[in-house]
Amino acid sequence: MKSEIKIPFFLINRYLLRGNKWKLFLIIFLMSAAFINLVFVTSLFNGIIEMSNRQIIDTYTGNVMITPKEGSDFIEDLDVKLKKIDQIDEVLAKSAQISVPASLESRNIKRSWPILAINPDDEKQVTNVSEKMIEGEYLAPDDDDKIIIGRQIAGGDGVEMNAFSFKGAKVGDKVTMAFDGVAKDYTIKGIFYTKFLDTDERAFITEKSLNQLVPNFYNNKANSIILKTTEGDENRTIELLRDKELLENFNTWEDVAGLMKTVTKSFLSINILLSIVGVLIAAFTIFIVIYIDIVSKRQQIGILRAIGIKPYLINALYVMQTVVYSCFGVILGAILLFGIIVPYFNYYPFSLPIGDATLVINYGELIIRTETIIIVAILAGLIPAIATTKMKLLDAIWGR
Amino acid sequence: MPKEAIIKIKNVKKTYSTGEVAVRALLGISLEIYRGDFLIIIGRNGSGKSTLLRQIGLLDIPDAGEIIINDQNVVRISEKERSEIRLKKLGYVFQDYALMSDLTAIENVMLPALMLEQTVNARKKAADLIEKVGLKNRIDNLPSQLSGGEQQKVAIARALVNNPEIIIADEPTANLDSKAAKEVIEIFKKLNREGHTIVMVTHEEDEERSASRIIELADGQILTG
Repeated sequence: MKSEIKIPFFLINRYLLRGNKWKLFLIIFLMSAAFINLVFVTSLFNGIIEMSNRQIIDTYTGNVMITPKEGSDFIEDLDVKLKKIDQIDEVLAKSAQISVPASLESRNIKRSWPILAINPDDEKQVTNVSEKMIEGEYLAPDDDDKIIIGRQIAGGDGVEMNAFSFKGAKVGDKVTMAFDGVAKDYTIKGIFYTKFLDTDERAFITEKSLNQLVPNFYNNKANSIILKTTEGDENRTIELLRDKELLENFNTWEDVAGLMKTVTKSFLSINILLSIVGVLIAAFTIFIVIYIDIVSKRQQIGILRAIGIKPYLINALYVMQTVVYSCFGVILGAILLFGIIVPYFNYYPFSLPIGDATLVINYGELIIRTETIIIVAILAGLIPAIATTKMKLLDAIWGR
Repeated sequence: MPKEAIIKIKNVKKTYSTGEVAVRALLGISLEIYRGDFLIIIGRNGSGKSTLLRQIGLLDIPDAGEIIINDQNVVRISEKERSEIRLKKLGYVFQDYALMSDLTAIENVMLPALMLEQTVNARKKAADLIEKVGLKNRIDNLPSQLSGGEQQKVAIARALVNNPEIIIADEPTANLDSKAAKEVIEIFKKLNREGHTIVMVTHEEDEERSASRIIELADGQILTG
């Protein structure tokens, strides 16, 4: 027993060294392709999900969004509440926002879009809209007649919502903001493009300009406060906010995500479905290739049996062989994935209407995919090997 | 001193199905093969001689009857036990050599020995046997780099590596030229002189002269011998 166990090792070494190198390469390449297929689709969906989550956090809600308590339109006593928020270590930055229920008019087009009055310095600390300017500049705190608008408001050729936009507004164009019987002309200071549709349909003015337009009305009030926290600290932050006896509504970015949350859930479901399909395709492909490889060696298996090599050793030989194939396949796949594919898509991300998606590798899933490939390969080697060691010896020797 | 039967074949029957046609290859063969015999089985094509050899070599299982090797009935035993007997007690030489194409001459020969011994010992035994069959300078050649005669010599060395009592050869010279065939037969004669029991199927009349016994099969039955 002890002595005979070396037989599979002895044979596999020779098979790999002296077998047809092209066939070996093709089998390993196929294994690597199956591995990449399994990892790529999942990673792409992970990337899309992560990108959409990031877009929500970085351009829209921050990590936590505070809204007025039930029955109120505003967060009152803003100064006091901001001071309480400042006392919480988990909060890295905050920005109070006032929703201005106004319409914008330019180029004889008048529409209502979400307009937010902000402190630009505070907003910069929470969102990254300031980094997404495609024309002009971001707001400065002292801007009292300047407005920045999203690309979907500016419009132009190739803009998704062009039909409902200013159809090509440029930096420097005049925009009239009107609400509640008052109107004010603003100059477009900048146009931003975050690729997140909800954000790109927004316009921003400074709180200073709003206070000039409607003095005192919005003093010490806000419609929302968005907070930046460390990733994963959202719920803890909300607990601490409640401890400060703040009575407002506290929402994590996921609570606010709304439609995006549904889309993300759909992506997750599709991801799981595609993963199952991917595993099945990989299983069938690997099984067929290994099966054909082993069936083509039926005569060799017959000879091994004829000279007295025990069936379990023959089975072990072919299982080990497929494990070697699959391990090399996974290694080659990982080299191609991390050496070429991931860097390529980091450099040239998938451009989607909600943002640019790169491949996000989940290492837990990567291990599961690797195990899947190896288990499938073991079965693909074991089943035909057992069938051949159980068939009539003469049929095996004659390759029937 | 009475001869000792190393193989006893009792009323062995075998029928093959080829499509819808059943071919009755052995119709109840009974035979005793004695220790030290050089038994040659002759007969026309389809007489059942190779079928009989495969039953004795445990490559096939008879439909009925008994085959007793060294007092052990080998007909109704497990595949594991059959492997054990093929490994230790029988050496089978195929007409078409049946060598492992990815193994060199010495690796082919040492393979069965690896089942029982350390690699170093198996390699030494194999090297000695390859030298014995005259292929010392071809030791590291793959089968594809050897002539038919050389391949058959490697196959004989492999059959001998675990020092089996019985060597079974199925038309071992059928694919060889006359010179190579003569060399192979000489090896079998030498092995027989060294004490191995040889059971061989052949078509060649020259080879029949090497035998201590000849039996002739016709239509699945022993005609003479």
